[in-house]
Amino acid sequence: MAPRKSPRERQMLVLDSVIALVFVLVACVELCDGATVVDVYRLIQYDISGAPFGSRLAGLNHHATSLHFSPHADLSRTVLLIPLREFNISFVKEYIAESKPLGGLLFLLPQIFNFENNGEVGSNHLDGTNELLILAELEQILIHTNLPYPVYFAFEDDNINAVLADIKKSDITGQPATATTGGYKFVVSAPEPKSVVSPSITNIQGWLAGLKGGDDAHQLPTIAIVASYDTFGAAPALSVGTDSNGSGVVALLEVARLFSLLYSNPKTRGQYNLLFGLTSGGPYNYNGTRKWLRSFDQRLRESIDYAICIDSIGSWENELWIHDFSSVAEELGFNVNLKHKKINISNPRVAWEHEQFSRLRVTAATLSELSAARELLEKTGGLIDSRHFVDEKAIIRSVKLVAESLARHIYGHQGKNIQIFADNSNLAVNPYYIRAWLDVLSQTPRVAPFFSKDDPFVMALKKELEDHTDEVYVQREALDGMFTFYDSTRAKLNIYQVASVTFDLLLLLVLGSYLIVLFSFLVITTQDDVFMKSSLEEPVIC
Amino acid sequence: MTVFHFFNCAILTFGPHAVYYSATPLSEYDTLGTSIKAAVVYLATALVKLICLATFLKVSESDSFDPYQELLKALIGFIDVAGLYFALAQLTHRNISQNHKFQAVGLGWAFADSVLHRLAPLWVGARGLEFTWDYILQGLEANANLVLSISLAALGSLMWLRKNKPKTLIPIIYLCAGIVATMPSITSYLRRGLGWHFPKVVGFELFTSLVMAFISWQLFSACQRPSM
Repeated sequence: MAPRKSPRERQMLVLDSVIALVFVLVACVELCDGATVVDVYRLIQYDISGAPFGSRLAGLNHHATSLHFSPHADLSRTVLLIPLREFNISFVKEYIAESKPLGGLLFLLPQIFNFENNGEVGSNHLDGTNELLILAELEQILIHTNLPYPVYFAFEDDNINAVLADIKKSDITGQPATATTGGYKFVVSAPEPKSVVSPSITNIQGWLAGLKGGDDAHQLPTIAIVASYDTFGAAPALSVGTDSNGSGVVALLEVARLFSLLYSNPKTRGQYNLLFGLTSGGPYNYNGTRKWLRSFDQRLRESIDYAICIDSIGSWENELWIHDFSSVAEELGFNVNLKHKKINISNPRVAWEHEQFSRLRVTAATLSELSAARELLEKTGGLIDSRHFVDEKAIIRSVKLVAESLARHIYGHQGKNIQIFADNSNLAVNPYYIRAWLDVLSQTPRVAPFFSKDDPFVMALKKELEDHTDEVYVQREALDGMFTFYDSTRAKLNIYQVASVTFDLLLLLVLGSYLIVLFSFLVITTQDDVFMKSSLEEPVIC
Repeated sequence: MTVFHFFNCAILTFGPHAVYYSATPLSEYDTLGTSIKAAVVYLATALVKLICLATFLKVSESDSFDPYQELLKALIGFIDVAGLYFALAQLTHRNISQNHKFQAVGLGWAFADSVLHRLAPLWVGARGLEFTWDYILQGLEANANLVLSISLAALGSLMWLRKNKPKTLIPIIYLCAGIVATMPSITSYLRRGLGWHFPKVVGFELFTSLVMAFISWQLFSACQRPSM
C-alpha cells in the first residue's frame, strides 16, 4: 500500500494541479494585438528548371527602417520600407546586384494599383508615366533575381504612412529604437512556402457550327479566335492583367456574343465554323495553347482556315499590329500594321500565341498593341497592369475590327463598305458588357498555377462561353515541368511599436532600486514602530 | 524581449506586496494566514459586488459619465467596506496584535485585488510585442491601491476595534475612511466625467494615496498615545 498522504498534502496536490491547468489554459490564448495590421502580397517565388527566382522566404520578424538609414548600418536583420514615390531604382539595383544581406523588403505602392478598392482613387492619378516605368523595371528585376529574404508589396494608407513617418524621423535623428522614439517591428507569421503540387492549366473552348451544306459540319472551314487569359507578375495576388490579357478575353467574349446572335438564325449563319479558345499558360511560352492544339484531331486541325489570337488591345491610340498575318486589313480610321517575324522552330521561346499555330502549319496571326515581341515573363499582366490604364474605347474599336473583318471574310463582303456591326444597330458592340467583364477581370488575379480545381473564375468563363456557343469543353492539363511555383502569395503584416532591450533593462534597474528603497524605508520605519509598540503594548496585555 | 517586459510589469505590480510583507514585522509573526483569509473575504466581496452591479446597473452603451449610475456604483462600492469590516472584526485571528492585524488584512486585500484585476490583462497584454505605457501605469496604480487598502484597514481597525480613542478624532477618522472608500468612484469620475488621461489619473491616485496614508498614520499614532 502506498503511504497515505495527509489531507493537507492532498489538498496541496489538487491545488497545484488546478494552478497548472489554469496556467496552461492561459498560455494558449493567442496573442494578436498589433498596432496595425496590413494586407501584404508576397513577391512570387518560382524555379525555372531548378534555378531559384523570386523571394525565397515568407516569414518575417524584424525591425523596420526607411531609406534614410545610416550608411554603415547592418541591415541583415532589418526590413527596408520603400515607398514607390521616393523610389530610387539604381539603389535597389545596386543592392540586389551586390546581393547585400537584408532582413526583408517591403514596397509601398500607390493606391492606384490596388484593384480591391477601384473607385476610391479619385483625383490621385499618377501625374506621369515615370513611376509606371520604374515599377515595370523593378518588377522585371525582382522577377529575374534570386532574393534570399522575404519581399512584400503593400498599398499606402494612412496607418502605414504614419508608421513610415515615424520610422523616417527616428532614422534621420539617428537614434536607436526605444519606447519613446518609435521602434517598429514588422511581423509576418507565415509558414515555409511549399511548392504547388502539379500545377495545372485549364483551356476552355466553344464552338459555333457553320451552316451545313448537306455534309458534315467539320468539312466546313473553321476560323479560330483565341485569347490567353492567365497572367504572371511580381506579386501573384496582384497580377490581374487588365490589359494583358484581360482585354483580349473581353474582346473574345464580345465577338462570341455578336456571332452567336448571327449564327442563331439559319439565314445569317455563315459557311464557316467558329472556334473560340480561352487558353491558359500564356506567360509560359503559350503552353496551354500548345496542349490545346495537340489535343485536336487531325481533321479539325486541318480544317482551321486561320486563327486570330487577341493579345493586349486595351490601351492603344491609333496603331495596332498584326503579327504575321496577311488577309485582314481595315479602313476604320486607324493603322493596322503588319509585322512578320521569322519563327525558329528550334527555339523554345514562343513570343506570340499564333506561333503555336504556325508550328502546326496553321495560318495564324496575333492582333496586339505591342509592336515588338515580349521577352519571357515580360508584360504578362503584372503589377502595373491596372484597370486605370486600360481604355474601354480601345477594346470596343478592336472588337469592331475583329468582328467586322471576320464577318466580311465569312459573308464574302470583302472590299465592300458595309458595316454589319454598326453602332445603334442590334448588332452593335455592347460597351456595358465589355465594361462589366473588364471590371471582373481587373479584379481577379489569374496566375494559373494558383487556380484551384474548379476555380469560380474559370467556371464563370466557361458559363459565359456556354451562353454564346455550343459544345463548350474544358480541358485540364498539367503545366509542363520547367516551372515550379511556391504558395503563400498573400499574408497579414502585423506592425508593433516595440521598446528596445535597453529600455527594458533600464526599467528593471529602476524598479529594482524602487523596491530596495521601499524595503529599506519600511524596515527602518517599522523597526522603530515595533520597538515603540512592544514597549507600549505589553502593559495593555498584562 | 516581451517576456522581459511582462516580468518588469509584474515586479512593479506585485513586488511591493511581497516587499511589504517581508520588510515589516508581519513576516516575523507569521501573519500569512490572516492575509489569505482577507484575500478570500475579498474574493467573496467581489462576487457579491459583481452580482449587485449586474442586478442594479444598466449597461450603458456610451462611455459617458452618468451621475445616477455612478452614485449607485459608489453605494455598491461600500460593500467593500462591509467586507473589510468582516475581515477585521468578525474573523477570528489567532494571537495577532491589532496593528499587525490591520496590516495583514490590508495587504491580503490589496494583493487579492491586484491578482483579480491586473494579472490577466498583464499576462495577455504585456507579453505582446506592442509596447504601451499602460501596464507600467497599471503597476503604479497597484502600488497606490496597496497604500490605500492599508490606510482603509488602519482606519477600519481604529473605528471598529479600538475602544478607547480620543473623542475629538472620531469625526476625522470617519471622514477619512469615507474618502478612502469612495476613491474608486472619484477616479472613475475623473477618468470619465472630466476625461482625464490614464497617466494623470494614476498620478492623482498616487498622490492621494500618499496623503491619505500620512493622515491615517498620524491618526493611528494619535490613538496609540497612552495619554488617554
